[in-house]
Amino acid sequence: MKVAKLRALLLAPTLALSALLLAAAPPPPTPDKAKSKPAEPQPEAKPVPKVNPKIFDEALQDYFDGKQRQAAGKLFAYVEATAQTEENYAWAQYFLAKSLIELGLRHAGGVYLTKIARERSNPTVLPRALEELRYLTEVPHDETMIDEQVFGALDLGFLPEETAGFAHYHQGLWDLQVGSERWALIHFAKLKEGTAEASRAKFAVLVTRLKERKEASKEMVEDFLALAEDEKLSQETRNESRLAVARLRYEKRDYEGALEAYEKVQLPPLDPGRATLYLEEAWARYQLGQIHAAMGLLTTLDAPVFHNEFLPDKYLLRAMIYKDLCHYLPAKRAAKELTRRFAESLEAIREREDLTKDIRLRRAASAQGATKRAAKFLESLTLEGERVGRYAGNFGERLYAHLTKLYDLSHAEAQRIYEQRLNESVRAEADKLLRSAEQVRLMEYEVGLKLYERVKRGAKLVVPEDDAEITSAQVAYTFEGEYWNDELRDYRVRLKSRCIEEAAR
Amino acid sequence: MRKLPVVLLLVFPAIASAQVPELENPGTIQAVQERQYRLNHELGFGVGVLPLDAFYKGLLAQLSYTTHFSDQLAWRVVRGAYSYNVNTGLRTQLVRDFNVNPTAFEQVQWMVGSDVVWSPFYGKTAFLNRSVSHFEIFFVGGGSVLNLQNSSGGPGVFRPAVNFGLGARLFSSKHLSYRLDLADNVVISKDKGVFNVPSIQLSAAINFGVTE
Repeated sequence: MKVAKLRALLLAPTLALSALLLAAAPPPPTPDKAKSKPAEPQPEAKPVPKVNPKIFDEALQDYFDGKQRQAAGKLFAYVEATAQTEENYAWAQYFLAKSLIELGLRHAGGVYLTKIARERSNPTVLPRALEELRYLTEVPHDETMIDEQVFGALDLGFLPEETAGFAHYHQGLWDLQVGSERWALIHFAKLKEGTAEASRAKFAVLVTRLKERKEASKEMVEDFLALAEDEKLSQETRNESRLAVARLRYEKRDYEGALEAYEKVQLPPLDPGRATLYLEEAWARYQLGQIHAAMGLLTTLDAPVFHNEFLPDKYLLRAMIYKDLCHYLPAKRAAKELTRRFAESLEAIREREDLTKDIRLRRAASAQGATKRAAKFLESLTLEGERVGRYAGNFGERLYAHLTKLYDLSHAEAQRIYEQRLNESVRAEADKLLRSAEQVRLMEYEVGLKLYERVKRGAKLVVPEDDAEITSAQVAYTFEGEYWNDELRDYRVRLKSRCIEEAAR
Repeated sequence: MRKLPVVLLLVFPAIASAQVPELENPGTIQAVQERQYRLNHELGFGVGVLPLDAFYKGLLAQLSYTTHFSDQLAWRVVRGAYSYNVNTGLRTQLVRDFNVNPTAFEQVQWMVGSDVVWSPFYGKTAFLNRSVSHFEIFFVGGGSVLNLQNSSGGPGVFRPAVNFGLGARLFSSKHLSYRLDLADNVVISKDKGVFNVPSIQLSAAINFGVTE
């Protein structure tokens, strides 16, 4: 039972990891997507005022003088009043997008860059627009609009090498997401060896294979190990590779190897790290019998920085350690802590209430994968929408009205996508909680039996194992409830066993 | 004897209540870390002042070499300081208005010495919750020889002294640290008895051969 639980524990983050990687993956289009927006009576559109073509030069002058607000208004007026076939039309769109991005309206800027990519009216502007869109993919963005409709559908024949590589990578990711590894590999094969995209593609393929296969092969571990040392990948992706190695080794019961991989995860100075990393390391140490170190990691997870983390297993592992050391009352209390802490969520599950209304489950579901990205995009849209009002005076009535409408529509769509993803992921979190609650009940029962077990005559206390001495190269700070980020991986708990063994007669 | 039951009644609940936290939260927790900064051979360059004498103020420049036996114990093998002295207004007034003999004012010209350094405190501190700095606090004790001269010039006299003090070191990197020393040389002189020459110094210490 324990092993099955652990497998589930390790598989869940792996699946989450794969979801993270497939950043370009939007949810499958729903047939009722269009229906969800009720048709509203359109107000009669005001006629577009004619503009002097010189306004384009004035706008460019404003832009290069650092007056993006003024430039945006003029460029919008020019774009509105000019035919697509005009030579400067695409340039006006490009500089309008740049102005909006520099004013903090990234989504609106992205919309104009996307228009350039779709319309392709000026081949000299297109590579620049795609380059800007590449930067936008590094922050919360509209995945459907940029990843799927631009990079996922781009004709790759005419693009500069770097942009084509990025588009190939995204199209490969999309193929992976829909389950066509063969097509994905065709795209990935076109990536130049030694580029960051090539390394990221290898990682994506490995994660997808890991998700699909039950057993992890030795080659897969080695491939992940190679990626963990690949300097072209970001530190975060290298850490993900190390975590994947650790999880695979754990699955194969190579706990020493798993621990070695966990220890190689590099965090920036004073970065608290990720709660799941500590919990997984604690399980590995527990399996190795290093229960004091495992208990130290559980202490880490009590730090305020992890207060909102959804880690039901933490209470279970703590109860198991106390039980192993025959501290039955603390074991019982640690087990009960789970049901006490998550009482409202468990009640909501039992009563079949709307789980998205439960604050803990909602927070846990929004903390990872596609739901996290959707939540961040929604948040950024809210902020940008508020920002539009600040520029109302400079933008002029028409641009202001246009942006307000754009942000309202985008926000509604982002909200819909977020709710859809939240509904899916909140159920997964609820399952996780239920499994842990089940284990805890079993633990409480086992502890109850032990608690009232009779001590036989001649029994004596087990000789406690010696705690590792502190060497001269080490320094020890007694923990008094104050958490320091630089100490989070270094807590050591001294806990004597209270187990009694029966004397040989 | 009649008091015994009362005493027992008072003592046992106290013992029992002391056991409750241990039962509820058993164990002790320590953060055990590798010592980030360890010293081996230390070369110090310092500047400071001799602030006490009312008739002059000494501006010190000091060089020192220290060898560290362990993280707690070190021997400052040698330190040598030269003092550039600046007369105070009081001394000028005494000489000018009251014709006091300038030879009456003895000034420290230089001093050399050696000390044992004991560093029992090693810790860290958070700066605005943004960075962590490590420091140590140490005590010094040793001996010095001071060269004292009259302000009018002439040959100096040597005086032995007992040196003691305390200081703090702020680590900047494995090779560089900054230290603040507060020390007092208790000078033993036949004609003037015992007098103090305190000093305040700020120095940069370069560490060679870091113990990993």
